[in-house]
Amino acid sequence: MKRTTAFRIGLWATQMVAVLALLGPAPEAQAQFGDFLKKAADKAQKAQKALQPMTVEEEREVGREVSAKVVAFFHLYKDEALTRYVNMVGATVAAQAERQDITYHFAVLDSDDINAFSAPGGYIFITRGAVVLCEDEAELAGVLAHEVGHVAGKHVLKIVERDKTMRAGMEEAKDRMPGSAHLHKMSKGILIKLIDQGLAPSDEYDADQRGVRYSHAAGYPADGLARFLTKLDQATEQGGKSFWTRTHPPVKDRNTRIQQTITAQHWEDADRPKLADRFAAETKTLKAKKA
Amino acid sequence: MRRTCRLLTLLIVFAALMAWGAPPTSPQDQSQPDQSQQSQEKSDKDQQKKKKKGGGFFGGLKAVAGESSEQQEVTATAGSKTVGEGEQIGSAQPTAADRRAVSAMESYAIPEKDVKKFQDEGQLKPKQ
Repeated sequence: MKRTTAFRIGLWATQMVAVLALLGPAPEAQAQFGDFLKKAADKAQKAQKALQPMTVEEEREVGREVSAKVVAFFHLYKDEALTRYVNMVGATVAAQAERQDITYHFAVLDSDDINAFSAPGGYIFITRGAVVLCEDEAELAGVLAHEVGHVAGKHVLKIVERDKTMRAGMEEAKDRMPGSAHLHKMSKGILIKLIDQGLAPSDEYDADQRGVRYSHAAGYPADGLARFLTKLDQATEQGGKSFWTRTHPPVKDRNTRIQQTITAQHWEDADRPKLADRFAAETKTLKAKKA
Repeated sequence: MRRTCRLLTLLIVFAALMAWGAPPTSPQDQSQPDQSQQSQEKSDKDQQKKKKKGGGFFGGLKAVAGESSEQQEVTATAGSKTVGEGEQIGSAQPTAADRRAVSAMESYAIPEKDVKKFQDEGQLKPKQ
């Protein structure tokens, strides 16, 4: 009898618990749980998105924001003829790059510093100081080809893609609007990486190799970049300002590797045009200003 | 006897329901009115912190995640003590004119025939 009563009580309690489970928790707890589940799903979706490669359009949006900051800081050097000339040389070497799903854009920055850098999406900048340091078109082509190499090798893009915190939030349209908090944060991170910390030495060596390859394929002598680097090293020793020598691998190492490639590929073409005269004519105004 | 047991079980279940649905209580709610002002302020601050981290059971989980990302931020910024040029450039706020300049850079295109002429004049003979 006792056992039957206890069994009935137990059965009744189980029924009550089942009813409770069916009814679910109290509304507040239910709302909290729903909120928690929604946020967890959102986070999972963002994590999934962060693992996917960036689209060309996303890359361009990031590059555009980085470029806007670069232009805001340095300002473009307003010389239509020089801009056209740099774009001609740039287009000639960029046509040799493996990556042709983007358009490469070139501009001269109004700065005495000896620098050149590229942003994702194909935005390539060279400073007045770097153009003045070049002695011929082959050297200019070498520098621009090195930057094209960074874009073609997706060196900066890979950093962004690897950094989940940089990627998080790109899926919403408002986060991709020019000047959005997200793009500001992402482009600032890229510029710190590019200019203050520097890319991985392996990426710099890779851009050098690509640069030599593109220059040679474009018809220039393959040693333009190496000759520029030697002069850059000397210029910075004499007080010239450049983050290339601060954040990049030593010039000696880079030139050794470049020379090894030239030798191995039999690219020591003495008869290839360096185009010193054309370069001098095109940069006459700039060099006169410097003098 | 059976009726008593049933009533008792009903009471237990009802109490459990009330406990589940009730808002979370904090130690501050139980503080005595004769406590000093200082301790009251402290409890207010603590309560604000709790509010920031989110109350309730699921709020606790959010708080754990929040602490983790805050910690990451501290670790990330601890490395650089000086403001580099990259950081200065990155902090620049582009104007509408700067953005127009970038748009102009994008739309700047030299006709292919002009590039070809340029290459021919330089006797470049590019592969592509």
